[in-house]
Amino acid sequence: MTRVIIIDDEEDIRIVLKEIFVRAGFEAQVASNASDGMDLLREHGADLVVTDVIMPGKNGVDTVYDIRMEFPNTKIIVISGGGNVTPANYEPASIKTTAYLASAEAVGADLTLTKPFDREDLISAARELTAGPKLTN
Amino acid sequence: MKRSLKSLSSRVVIAALIIHAVLLPILFYGLLTVVRHSEEEMFVDQVRIFSRVFADTMDTDLEFDSEAELIAHLDSAILGGTCMFAALELGDRLLVSSLMQPEDAEHYAEDFRFGENDDGVYYTSAPLQFPEQMAILKFGFDEGPTTARIESARGTILFIIIGYLVVSLSLVTFLANIVTGPLQRLRRVSREIASGDYGRKLSVDSNILEINELGSNLENMRSALVGVNARLQQEIADREAAQAEQRKVEGHMRHMQRLQSIGTLAGGVAHEFNNVLLPILMYIDLALEDLPTDSPTRSKLERVMRLANRAKNLSQQILTFGRRSTEVTQVALDVAPVIEEALSMVRAMVPANIEIRTDIEHQAGTIVCDPAEIQQLVVNLCSNAYHSMLKGGGHMTVSLKLVDSADELSGRHLGLSDDEYLRLRVADTGVGMDPPTLQRIFEPFFTKREVGQGTGLGLSVVHGIVERHDGKINVSSEVNGGTTVDIYFPLGSLREILSQEEHENDQGYHH
Repeated sequence: MTRVIIIDDEEDIRIVLKEIFVRAGFEAQVASNASDGMDLLREHGADLVVTDVIMPGKNGVDTVYDIRMEFPNTKIIVISGGGNVTPANYEPASIKTTAYLASAEAVGADLTLTKPFDREDLISAARELTAGPKLTN
Repeated sequence: MKRSLKSLSSRVVIAALIIHAVLLPILFYGLLTVVRHSEEEMFVDQVRIFSRVFADTMDTDLEFDSEAELIAHLDSAILGGTCMFAALELGDRLLVSSLMQPEDAEHYAEDFRFGENDDGVYYTSAPLQFPEQMAILKFGFDEGPTTARIESARGTILFIIIGYLVVSLSLVTFLANIVTGPLQRLRRVSREIASGDYGRKLSVDSNILEINELGSNLENMRSALVGVNARLQQEIADREAAQAEQRKVEGHMRHMQRLQSIGTLAGGVAHEFNNVLLPILMYIDLALEDLPTDSPTRSKLERVMRLANRAKNLSQQILTFGRRSTEVTQVALDVAPVIEEALSMVRAMVPANIEIRTDIEHQAGTIVCDPAEIQQLVVNLCSNAYHSMLKGGGHMTVSLKLVDSADELSGRHLGLSDDEYLRLRVADTGVGMDPPTLQRIFEPFFTKREVGQGTGLGLSVVHGIVERHDGKINVSSEVNGGTTVDIYFPLGSLREILSQEEHENDQGYHH
């Protein structure tokens, strides 16, 4: 079974994405921040990580970087709401989320998706990325 | 009171006339006096010689037999042609030449000067040495021919003097014209120049040193003034053109900034909105999957699904607007003012132990850019420079310069084409970086700063901005040797971008 870990600070998104993956036949676990997600990954391993990019604590780009360093074979999908955000203490202007997504791709994300995306798009991309040999039996 | 002004040549002629009016009469009367004196002296000398000679002949030839012989002798004096009166006083008798009227003898009046007694005759006497009695010869000579000669000489002198006057005045007029001709031309041209025709050349063709020098000095002054004037007018025109351009660009920038702040706000709203929409849409999807096909709730949920999709489209539209106003619309402009504005922000955040040196070349060239992004770029680079000098202090140098890619060391490995680029350089004297760090600087969130001092997004954002502007970036650094970041922007023309915008306007913003 393909194992996926979902990292997002929004509870509703965690719930709904887990449900979607489970119904699509994945084994899904959720974490509300990057360090919990890393703990899960180290503990159980995963074929795929779906992570938000703009989160309190460690952000998604750093998370991607860390996963890529530690687990080079794990596939990573980065998701973010379109638009822009203004990180604290960041002057002078806001950063477009597309910049974050581009940065995440630069450090090794396999795919980026802008919320709201279609359920089918997510699942088919996840299947495609994890088509190879599975981590678990 | 107005002084009466006369031209130089008429003044010279008038002066010459006055001089002649004083000098020529003196000359005339002087010459006349000389001529008269010489004529009169000659006349008197001749008269005396004649009288003396005649008297001598009578002294030596005293054999007069009768009075008749004496009279005949007197007649011979008149017949000689020079004398018109001849008489001999013998005691108390007077013998008169038969060739003259007896009553004329009464007119005799001894003259001591030519023209005395005003009778037209010069009377003179010569004593004879007759033995027994007193005898005096008396002669009268016609003054007429001498007077006529003097008169004729007067006429000649007058004629010569008038001739001289005419020739002299003509010469004076001619010379005055030689002197004043170039001055007149100078005056005419200077008058035209004064009335605004500054291009007229003040050329003086004169053999007179002073006038020639005056003319060439004036011409030098004129051409210098024309040069200064042209330069000033050019400067004014340039300044006006630059100001007009500046106003246009500022207007454009204000418009851009307004659109951008709206876009930023809309983008922030859309981001939150999308985070809410995703679970809504997916919950509905899951709920519909759970419902039996004949459930009455299904149609209601499908309606909610359609509404949520409408909301999703709205969010996309907001994002499209934001993108249009912040990404697509770039302007071609002189970035120097934009960079200076960013530097004022930098100055506000940099402490006093860090010096900011700037060398911004204005009007170096235009690039097609998004002013807000350029400002973000400058602030990010300066922020990095400042953080590298936090502990030790130092100075950062920000320069903007038009460069030729062939002259740039990094030009080839950056893949710059053989062309001119606008180079923005931010250099610091901070701690610098080692080669492994240098390789990773463009990675997002990569930072050497301590926690809480920065997001680490700085250089990756810079990289993104530079790429969006078709620019190139080169970073060189040494540990403890400072860091230099060079960004090369290709030059772009305002015309290109304006025609591009017109094209977009034709398409219309009807999303």
